[in-house]
Amino acid sequence: MNTLSFDSKRCERIRQQLDSYLSNELLVETASEVVRHLESCEACSRDLESRMRVRDVLQRAVANRPMPESMRANILRTLRDSQRRSLSRVAVKRWALGFAAAAVVLFGVFAAEWLNLRHGEQLIASILKLGVSDHVICAIQGHNYPEVANPPDEIREKLGARYAPLLQVVQQRLPGFELLEGHICSIPGSDRKYVHFITRGHGTILSVILTERNGAALPRDKLLLSADSDGLGIYQDHLSGMEIAGFESGQYFTFVVSDLNQKELLQLARGLAPALNDTLHTTARLLPSNATTKWAKLG
Amino acid sequence: MLFRPNVQVESFEAAALPHLTDLYRTASSLLRDRNEAEDLIQDTYLEAWKSFHRFELGTNCRAWLFKIMFHRLHHVRRRLVKASRVTTIDGPEGQDELAAEPVVPQEIRDEDVLNEFREIVLLADVEEFSYKEIAETLRIPVGTVMSRLSRGRKLLRQELAEVARSYGISPRTKQADAAETA
Repeated sequence: MNTLSFDSKRCERIRQQLDSYLSNELLVETASEVVRHLESCEACSRDLESRMRVRDVLQRAVANRPMPESMRANILRTLRDSQRRSLSRVAVKRWALGFAAAAVVLFGVFAAEWLNLRHGEQLIASILKLGVSDHVICAIQGHNYPEVANPPDEIREKLGARYAPLLQVVQQRLPGFELLEGHICSIPGSDRKYVHFITRGHGTILSVILTERNGAALPRDKLLLSADSDGLGIYQDHLSGMEIAGFESGQYFTFVVSDLNQKELLQLARGLAPALNDTLHTTARLLPSNATTKWAKLG
Repeated sequence: MLFRPNVQVESFEAAALPHLTDLYRTASSLLRDRNEAEDLIQDTYLEAWKSFHRFELGTNCRAWLFKIMFHRLHHVRRRLVKASRVTTIDGPEGQDELAAEPVVPQEIRDEDVLNEFREIVLLADVEEFSYKEIAETLRIPVGTVMSRLSRGRKLLRQELAEVARSYGISPRTKQADAAETA
C-alpha cells in the first residue's frame, strides 16, 4: 500500500460501493476489484477503516444495553396466560356447542312429545265422541227409556246372554242411580252397535255404553290419563255439553256419559270399570263362540 | 387454530426464545425507553405465538420475529403520529375550523426520517441482516434499503465526529494510531 494511485473518479466509484462491501453484499468480482483498489489507495482504505470503526462503536454501544433479567420470565408468563385463555375459550366454545346441541335435542324431544300428546288428545276426543253421540241421540233426544224402570228380566231379555250379566254390575256399581233401561242400539246408516244402559239419579240421566273397539285403541300415554282404576286407564273429556269418561274393557270401549260434574262422573267410572271388566272377561270365557252372532242378531 | 397442545408451546419457545436478546437490543436502541421496549417485545412474542401455526419450522425464525416486531413498532408509531396531529385553530377568516388539515409537527417528521435511518443501520450493522432480509422485514424495496443505509451510516459518522469534536478529540487515523504505538 505504499504506492498511492489516486484516481478521483475510480475512488469515487469504489467509495460508492464501500457500503455494500462492508455489508458483504457485493458480487465476488466486484468485491475483488474493491480489495485490489484498497490495497493501492490509502485514502479509500482509511475511509473504509473509518466506516468499520463506526460500525464497531455502534455494535459495542448497542451490546452494552443489557436485557432485564425479568424479561424472559415475563414473556413466558404472557405465553402461558395466552395459552390458558385460548384453551378456556375452546372449553367455553365446546360447552356452548354442547348446550346448543342439547337444546336442539331437547327441543326435538319436547316437540315430538308435544305433537304426540296433541295427536293423543285428538284420538281420545274422537273415540269419546262416540259415547257422547250415542247418549245424546238415544237417551236425551230419543228419550228411549221409561219413566218407571223396566223390570230386570225384560232388560236381560233385550241384552241377551252375553250382556245380561252386566245388568247387575251397573245396578250395584252406580250408587244413587236407578237402572231404567238396557238394550242394544244400532246407528242408522252404520254397522256399529252398542250396549246401552240408561240410569237416573242425582237429578239427571246417565248412560253406560259399550261398543266394540274393532282394533281401535285409546293412547297409552300416562300424561293423557285422567285416572287409573285397578290398572284400567280412564280418559275423560267434556264434549257437546256432556262429561264423558271412557276406558277399554277387553274388546270394548266403555263410556260413562252424563251432564254431572267432571269429578263426580270420574268417581262413578272408577267404581264401575274393574267390575265391568271382570264380568266381560268371565262372559267371554263362558260364551266364546256365538258372542258375535248374538250381537248381530240383537242389533 | 384454537387448540394448541403443550408440545406446540415448547416448540415455539425453542424456536423463538433464543432470539430474545437480539430483539430486545434492537427495540431498546430504537425506542430508548426500557418500558416501551419491553412492551414491544411482549407484544411481538404474543403475536408470534398466535401466528406460530403459519410459521414453517426450519425457516429463519429470527428474521420472522424481527418482521413482526417492526410491524408492531411501525403500528405504534403511526398511532403516536396520529395522536400528535394538531388542527390549525387560527385559520383564515371564514374558514371552517373543523375543515382545517391536521398538521404533523416538524420535529416528529424529522424524527420519523431519522428513525428510518436508525432502523436500517441497526439491522445491517448490528444484527447483520442481508439487504434482502431487511427489505422483507421493513417491507421496502432493496434499492431503498441500500440508499437509506448509505445515508444512515453517513449521518452516524457525522454525529460521532461532532461528539468527538465536542470532547476535543480528532477523528482517529492510521497515522495517529501508528504514532501512538511508536
